[in-house]
Order: sequence, then structure tokens, then C-alpha cells
Amino acid sequence: MQIAPILIVCAVVFALPLVLNNDFLLNKVARYLVLGILTISLALSWGFGGILNLGQAMSFGIGSYAMAMALKLKTIPVHTGSGGLPDFMVWNNVARLPWFWEPFKSISFAIAAGIIVPALVAAGLGWFIFRSRVTGVYVSIITLATMVVLNLVIIDQQSYTGGFNGITDLAQLELFGIAFDAYGRATFYLVATCVMLSLLVAFAFTCSRAGLIVQAIRDHEGRVRYFGYDVATYQIFVFALSAAIAGLAGMLYTIVMEFASPTFLGVQLSLSVVVWCAVGGRQSLVGSFLGAVLVAGMQGALSESAAFLETWTLVMGVLFVLVVLFLPKGLAGLAQVAWHWIVHRRQVTQGIAHGVGRTREGSA
Amino acid sequence: MDQFFEQIITGLSIGSILLLVALGLSIIYGSMGIINLAHGEFVMLGAYTAWLLQSHFGLGLLASLIPIFVAVALIGWVIERFVLSLLNNRPLDTILATWGVGIVLQQGVRLTVGSELRYVQLPPSLSDSMVIVGLSVSSYRVFLFLVTIVLFAVTWLLMNRTTIGMKLRAIMQDRSVAASFGINAKRVYGLTFAYGAGLAGLAGALVSPLKSVSPDMGTGYVVDAFMVVVLGGVQSLAGTVASAFILGQLSGAIAFLQNDTVAKALVLLAIVVLIRFRPEGLFTTRVRA
Repeated sequence: MQIAPILIVCAVVFALPLVLNNDFLLNKVARYLVLGILTISLALSWGFGGILNLGQAMSFGIGSYAMAMALKLKTIPVHTGSGGLPDFMVWNNVARLPWFWEPFKSISFAIAAGIIVPALVAAGLGWFIFRSRVTGVYVSIITLATMVVLNLVIIDQQSYTGGFNGITDLAQLELFGIAFDAYGRATFYLVATCVMLSLLVAFAFTCSRAGLIVQAIRDHEGRVRYFGYDVATYQIFVFALSAAIAGLAGMLYTIVMEFASPTFLGVQLSLSVVVWCAVGGRQSLVGSFLGAVLVAGMQGALSESAAFLETWTLVMGVLFVLVVLFLPKGLAGLAQVAWHWIVHRRQVTQGIAHGVGRTREGSA
Repeated sequence: MDQFFEQIITGLSIGSILLLVALGLSIIYGSMGIINLAHGEFVMLGAYTAWLLQSHFGLGLLASLIPIFVAVALIGWVIERFVLSLLNNRPLDTILATWGVGIVLQQGVRLTVGSELRYVQLPPSLSDSMVIVGLSVSSYRVFLFLVTIVLFAVTWLLMNRTTIGMKLRAIMQDRSVAASFGINAKRVYGLTFAYGAGLAGLAGALVSPLKSVSPDMGTGYVVDAFMVVVLGGVQSLAGTVASAFILGQLSGAIAFLQNDTVAKALVLLAIVVLIRFRPEGLFTTRVRA
């Protein structure tokens, strides 16, 4: 995989505001880009590490809540109770701010937590899973179950988490004197910068020694172990790195959507991420990113009416089954085949034009 | 003392429902290596078939059990034949394919029947309660417990005392050697998957009078059922039974002390920790791969 497609995609993303003059549209696109980052994180653990995390939205949700908690504490007192207590806590008769909310008064703590907490949770879970040499489908089930349970706990603990309604009525994020309005350009550029960072970090990792070993583990775990590598450590690392990127995406999602909700760590979203990743191409960072942006964007454009959304979900299910059956490398795989075909054809036609001797030279 | 027995009976009741749902899942995974994420949707289809037969054809729940089994098994067979059999050597992809099939089934029901809640009546002969060790217990729950035991016995007999069961066990041990002895693995796999799906359908039909029927009802059951399979290990039916009842008692007890959600969270935590020390599950000797 080369860096050129990544740079092209980043350039296009940064150029988008020049074309899109509508703030509403810009916000929508920013949302798809954030989902794209989430899908990159899954491609890293699934496509490169061979770890199919069906609970990828868990890290996303944790990041999203970390940001929402900090922004909630920044809201003007109209929307909060006395002493800055969030409104839903007042409704649930909570007298004072719980201890785990206290540090979120600092934005920099929240930003660090939004990345570090998902990574730590993933590393902890990964320690249990990979040190026991659990592989394949079991990892998927455990990650899925963990996410479902965390989702239930968040809904259940209404007085501390806002329950089913999530955390709403948030302040705007302010960093270095810039206010990030969800519908403003600053937010879009923030998202675009994070897209670039995520793509580059993920790309750098896949090219690094550790990244190559992770890919080797995906292809043949036993063989890598015989070479003397500590397989579990590498798996835990890629699992945690993927969770950290997903956490970053979650924080951005809160900024763009202006709320956090238990649906952000729901089965529905987790499933969608897997679908986007599979459609775009799980073994390609750019492919998975574009898969998310295109499919989510298409869904957004078509789902103006509720009836159509239901049909769309059905269509997506069918599409997903077909991609899994007949196109395991997704659209990126298809693009690769097409590219090779074009290059090959050009070589052949050139060969015919310049005589046989040249063809031999060209193919050597 | 009464409270203790009441807890035990609640636990048995939860356990029998868990086992009912997990049995089909465990057979499909144990014999074919396929994690069937559409299992919850088979449960849902069974419940909807029960509702359909009751509200449109006036058939009671007990009378409709066999048609429900056949209908859902048929759907399972079609899915195995046209989707899963194409994914022979890609176990991770079968998860995705069954998940996709699950969405299609769920969304299909939502579009055709609608997403409002449906209700199934208890069979009139089982709607009263009976007295066991001095406690009043709903007859239907006792019936569920008995049906679960019968279904488990039937499954065990099918696996260990019939030709098709023997063929399946041969394929599980070595598919190519079994094939060279003239066993048609494709046909056996199709029947196994259909049987597992039919069991899920029965589970759905049997729990439908206790809870409301909705297109997404399967999701909750399938997560619980996976916990049973993970805890019990997948190679032994006995392990599935034991873990279903352990989990049933555990959830019942914690739910009594705290609430349902806390019970689920603690049980999951316990399972994740357990996996670290016994990756092969509580009751089997083979390592997962």
C-alpha cells in the first residue's frame, strides 16, 4: 500500500469547504468524515490485525461521553442546576457532582481521557482475551457482549449518565481561543485534521516493524509464535491503538452532533462500521474510510423519509451479504484489480506498438 | 427458607429459557464452526410465527409448535444452502454473513408485519399455577422446564443414537475422511443448520407468551445465549446445560439483590475473567481455535 492515495484523499477533504457553501451540508459531511475515522480504526484491528472487533463502537462511545461530560460542565447555568450540576442530575435528585465527573471540569483532561480510557479498556480486555490465546470468532463475541453490557449499564445508571436520553444541551468546545461551532468551518477543519492524522498514524503503524509483525500474526499466528515473538503483546497493542483512534472519533462526533447518546455505543452503529469497512475494503485504510463516507453519505441522502430508511437497512443487509460472499476485499480490492488490468493493458498495447523486443524489455 | 427455594425456582426458570435458546446455537457452532449471529432472528421468527398462527388461524400455541419448528428449520436450511455453504473455509466471514442475514430477516419482518409489539396468549390449560414444595409456581414455567429437558434429550439422542448423528460426528472429526467413506457433508451440514434454526424457532415460540414480540427481540436473547456457549465450551452438550443453569441461578440471585442490568454486567465480567484461566470453557478439554 502506498501513501499517494492517502495524500490525495486528505487534499480532497481539506478542499471540500471551498466547494460546499452550505453550513448545514458542511456539518453533515463532517459527520461522515468522523464515521470514516471510526472505520479506519476498525480496518486497523480487523484488516491488518485479523481481530474482528464487533464492539468497536464501545471505544467510540467512551470517547463521545468523555467529551460530552466536559462540555456539559461548561454549559451556562441556565441549563445546569445550582453549582453547575448537570440538569439531568438535578432531575434525578443527585445532590453533588459524583467523583468521576470532577476531573472533567478540565477540557484537557477530557481530551486525554477520551483517547486514553478507550485504549486502557481495550488493553485490559485484550490482556484477558489474547493472553488466553482466544482467537477468531470468540474475540468477536466477547467484544460484542462487552459493548452491549456497557450500553445497558449506561442506560441503567440514569442519574450519573443521563440514561436513555444521553447527555444533551452542551456548550461549544473552545481551544486556543477558537470556538468550535458544530456548523462552523473551524469544526470542519478540526475534523479534517484528525482524518489526516488518523490516516497517517495508521499508515505509519502498518509500515512499521510492529505493524508488519501484526500482519504476519493475522496470516499465520502459530508461525510468528515459533519465531519467538510475543504474539499477545502485539495483538493487545493494535487492539488498543485501534480503540484510541475510535475514542478520538467519538470525541469529534460529540462536537459535530452536539450531544452524546447510548446509541453511539449501540449494536446498530457497531454493525454499520463493520459493513462500511467490509464494503470499502478491510485491508485498505483509504478504502475503509471512503467506504464509510460513501455508504453513510448515501444513507443520509436517501433517508429523508422514514419509510425509505427501513428499506435502505434491508438493502444494506443484502449488499453486505453479497460483499462478504463475492468481494472479500471490498471496493478497494476491486479498484486494485481494475488498476492492474489497466496497467497491464497499457503494457500490452505499448508492446504491440513498439515491437516484440520492447515488450520483453518492459516485462523484464 | 421459602425465599431460598423461590430463588432456586426463578433461577431454574431463567436457566431453562437460556438453554432453550443456546441449544441450537451450541449445536451449530460445535458441529459446523459457524457462529450464527442470525440466531436471535430465528428466535424472533419463531415468536412471530406463533403470533401469526394464533391471531390469523386461531391455532393455540401447543398445536402450532410443530409447524413453527418446520417453518423456521426450512428458512435455516435455505440460508445454509444459499449463503453459508459458499463460505466453506472462511470462519470469520460466516459471522459477517449471518449478521447480514440477521439484519435482512429483522428488517423484512419490520417492513411486512410492522414494528409494533405483538402478544401471544398462554395456552389456557397452562395459565394457572401449581404448588411445588409449598410454593406457588406458574404452570407454564414448569411446562417450559419440562419441554427444555425433552428437547435436550431428543437432541442428545439425535446426535448419539441415529445414523445422521453418527455422520455428523464423523464429519466433525475429519471432514475429508468422512467424505471418502461416502458421507455427504453438504447435506448433513444443511440438516444440522436447519435443526439448530428450528430449535431457535421453538425457543422463540415458547417464550413469546412471557414477553412481548417485536422485530428486535432476538438481540437480547442471542447475547445471553452466547455467554452460555462461551462459559460452557462448545464441544459438549452437557457443558451447555450446566452453564445455562449456572448462569440462570447466578442472574436470578444477583437480579434479586441488585437489578437485571447489574446482574448481566457482573456475569459478563465473571466470564471474561474465567476465560483468562480456563480458555477452553468450564466443561470441555479442547482449546478453542
